[in-house]
Amino acid sequence: MTRRESPDAIADRAIVVDGLVKRYGELAAVAGITFSVPRGTVFGLLGRNGAGKTTTLECCIGIGRPTAGSVRVLGLDPTRRRELSDLRPRIGVQLQATSLPEKANVREVLELYAAYYGIASRAEEMSERVGLDGKLDRQIAQMSGGEQQRLALALALQHDPEVLFLDEPTAGMDAFGRRILWGEVERLRDGGKTIVLTTHYIEEAERLSDRICIIQRGRIVAEAAPAELVARYGGDATVSIAAEGFAPDATLGALGVWTQAGGGWKLATRGEPGLALAAVVTHANTLGAKIVSLDMHRPTLEDAFIAITGETIEETG
Amino acid sequence: MKLLRMFLIQTKAHFVWYFRRDGEMMFWTLAMPVFFLVLFSFAFSSGPNAGSSRFLVPGIIGAQVLSSGFWGIGVMLATFREKHLLRRIYITPMPPWVFFASLVVYRMGLLAAQAIILVAVGAVVFHVRIIGNPIEILAILLLGTATFVSLGTIIGALARTTESANNIASILTVPLAFLSDAYVPIDRFPHAVTSALRLLPSTQFIDTFRDVSVYGASLTHYGAWILMLVLWTIAGTVISARTFRWV
Repeated sequence: MTRRESPDAIADRAIVVDGLVKRYGELAAVAGITFSVPRGTVFGLLGRNGAGKTTTLECCIGIGRPTAGSVRVLGLDPTRRRELSDLRPRIGVQLQATSLPEKANVREVLELYAAYYGIASRAEEMSERVGLDGKLDRQIAQMSGGEQQRLALALALQHDPEVLFLDEPTAGMDAFGRRILWGEVERLRDGGKTIVLTTHYIEEAERLSDRICIIQRGRIVAEAAPAELVARYGGDATVSIAAEGFAPDATLGALGVWTQAGGGWKLATRGEPGLALAAVVTHANTLGAKIVSLDMHRPTLEDAFIAITGETIEETG
Repeated sequence: MKLLRMFLIQTKAHFVWYFRRDGEMMFWTLAMPVFFLVLFSFAFSSGPNAGSSRFLVPGIIGAQVLSSGFWGIGVMLATFREKHLLRRIYITPMPPWVFFASLVVYRMGLLAAQAIILVAVGAVVFHVRIIGNPIEILAILLLGTATFVSLGTIIGALARTTESANNIASILTVPLAFLSDAYVPIDRFPHAVTSALRLLPSTQFIDTFRDVSVYGASLTHYGAWILMLVLWTIAGTVISARTFRWV
């Protein structure tokens, strides 16, 4: 646990979480989590609801007090009052389920939050950035859940924070909202900001994160770049073909392992499945075999997630 | 400067969001106390009799101070917590006390409006005159506000939900208002009961405020009760500060 690192290595990490434990009575919501996030990168915490993602994030922003372990954000300890005060202006947070006052309108909320951070209100600009342009006078009560989420994003961004924490930012958002949020995350990362996001959407984690940390029951079960997770845990790509009179020859046999299944053939390969597919089709045509069905499956992050956790991310069973 | 701007914008936001755009709130705040004044003035006497109205004007103002603390501060804080608004604010650089102060000042503004309306209606309709020393009247009003804000904050600290805060505030406000000389004179109760009720901070505050404002008594004669109110305020503040959770 007591890894010593050079000051330089620590300085280029925006966030360092070491051996974090958070208990609520008997229940350990987080049971020993260690990770660090380099500056200017997007870090995705992926896991089922209740896996401990939100609790981890809350400990980073000073809302939750770790039972054990330590957290540093921009070198500051959020459990210390003074350091938390220094940290607050430098981070932006979009929490799950914040309900803003119903009778407030978009402009007023942005103005109020600008005052919290001691900056001039950027209501016009921010409302445009999150797709709420022309809705500055709209009251919260008249906004959809997705629109409120986008306003919450604007509140997290308005003071131009160095580190952004997004807790299930697209939960309840429609396709338009997701596109806006994803665009913002990519733009901020390109601008050198550090972003931590929790999600239970695999597609979102894969698309946005430089590194993904898979959390299950309060522990990290895997951590790597998305492509690396897929390569390491996603299993083989497959090509399945059902064709009359088809049988793999030696050239095709070299591509991987062939098995006969359900009246057809199935190839499991470590190579590029697109090339294998082309070779399979060419071979079938050479044989004059009529293709009945053809299927290619490239391993996905979801395959990797299931292989790692032994369960699907949605609680279906 | 930054803190002042935060405070002013937050106070204005409270006023606009929770009062000016909330018709129900405006009605309860401005019309109900006047309705009570008129109703009880006639109920307790055969006509616009200055005797009962003179009792009621400061009594109803005092009851509003009570409910401002219990509902306006206590229940409001519990609601803010339940809606995760407190934790959202806790993440920002605004010091929590600025938020609290703005909520208190907003409620004091409403109290001032209520008091002015009640005094005006009392003067015009029932010929009630405020004859006390204005500085002493203001002093006892501020002390009473401090007492019930600090006691109300305990509700906001201990109640886990808006619903339980509501229940606690109802259980406290309604009996206290009726047992503390606000609407009904307690000296009509048996002597032992009256003595016991005089131990309540609400009775101490309302009686002192009434005697000073409409009967022209000097605040200097109420040292014991002022001391009691100060002690209640200190107790309320200490308990609130120790138990209040922002997140």
